[in-house]
Amino acid sequence: MKSKLLLALLAITLTGTAAAQLKPEDAIKFRQSGYGFMAWNMGRIKANVEGGQFNKEEVIKAANAIQAIANSGMGALYLPGTDKGTGWEKTRVKPVFFTDKEGVAKVAMAFNKEANEMAKVAATGDVAAIKEQFGKLGGACKACHDDFKIKQ
Amino acid sequence: MNRKRIRLWDLPTRLFHWLLAAAVIAAIVSGQLGGNLMAWHGRIGLLIIGLLVFRLVWGVLGSTYARFAQFFPTPGRLGSYLRGEWRGEGHNPLGALSVFALLGLLTAQAVSGLFTNDDIAFTGPLFELVDKAASNRLTGLHHLLSKLLIGLVCLHVAVIVFYGHFRKQSLLKPMITGWKDDATGESARGGGPVALLIALAIGIGAAWGASGDWLPAPPPPTPAAETPDW
Repeated sequence: MKSKLLLALLAITLTGTAAAQLKPEDAIKFRQSGYGFMAWNMGRIKANVEGGQFNKEEVIKAANAIQAIANSGMGALYLPGTDKGTGWEKTRVKPVFFTDKEGVAKVAMAFNKEANEMAKVAATGDVAAIKEQFGKLGGACKACHDDFKIKQ
Repeated sequence: MNRKRIRLWDLPTRLFHWLLAAAVIAAIVSGQLGGNLMAWHGRIGLLIIGLLVFRLVWGVLGSTYARFAQFFPTPGRLGSYLRGEWRGEGHNPLGALSVFALLGLLTAQAVSGLFTNDDIAFTGPLFELVDKAASNRLTGLHHLLSKLLIGLVCLHVAVIVFYGHFRKQSLLKPMITGWKDDATGESARGGGPVALLIALAIGIGAAWGASGDWLPAPPPPTPAAETPDW
């Protein structure tokens, strides 16, 4: 009797977690959405520091959005087995992303640092400093793209 | 055969060569470093397009040894060179293969670069003309060709070092001074000011075309007052 109860409990727990778990397809979609949304915000900062008019509020909004996504724990979206699959489009993550934990942690933490710094610098409204930090942030994006994004 | 000093490379050819060498190095460095240097990477790419198109025109209108017809590596010329029977000045038939490979690869590299995107904040000046999937493919090609190009440039430099050390022939000096000592041919002729102006105009026109300045301007951003609060 007791063991049956335990089994039932176990079954509920298992299905419960299964339901809470992301579908691989959704995980890839959320990943791609995050990067795409950050790209929009990178473009907004770029437009404000390159030539045209500088709008401090725009830059702050964009930098805060990037910071929020950077700190959202996107690593949880890289489920085992999602080195292949299609979200909005076919994933371009390299399989090595799932084995080189140290390398990923390094570029991910560097990116977090620069994204946090970007938000901080944006708040000051100092155009030259924002432009410089924007370059560093782009460099942090590139570091991961170089090692872990498939070049089609 | 009497050996004498001849005018081998005309000044526009030499300027082209060294500007191209500097631009290619700058493009490689800026592309590898990324970040804010990507803006310069794009500008350097346009300079390279201008230089390449200038050289293509100069290969027809330029002086004797700069002309493609003069050194085009036909099977006959290649055969005679490999048998050790080729005599001439300027690019030898095997070197000419390398010249055309470098020019062709650089052209493919510069043109593909016009349509690239880096999924960060950089897009090539003609990115708008293709869809994202095509841009991604061209970006992949751009990365692949960069590796081939670096390899070919290394080979180019290695062969010049080989000639200097083992054949005791400086290929560098004529490319700097324009003169070649102890030569068997005639001095270069042709490639006057009119030809130079035509080649320059076409080169500058190509760089302008590649810059996308002629594309319709993007719609002005929504005025701040109309941007919703959210």
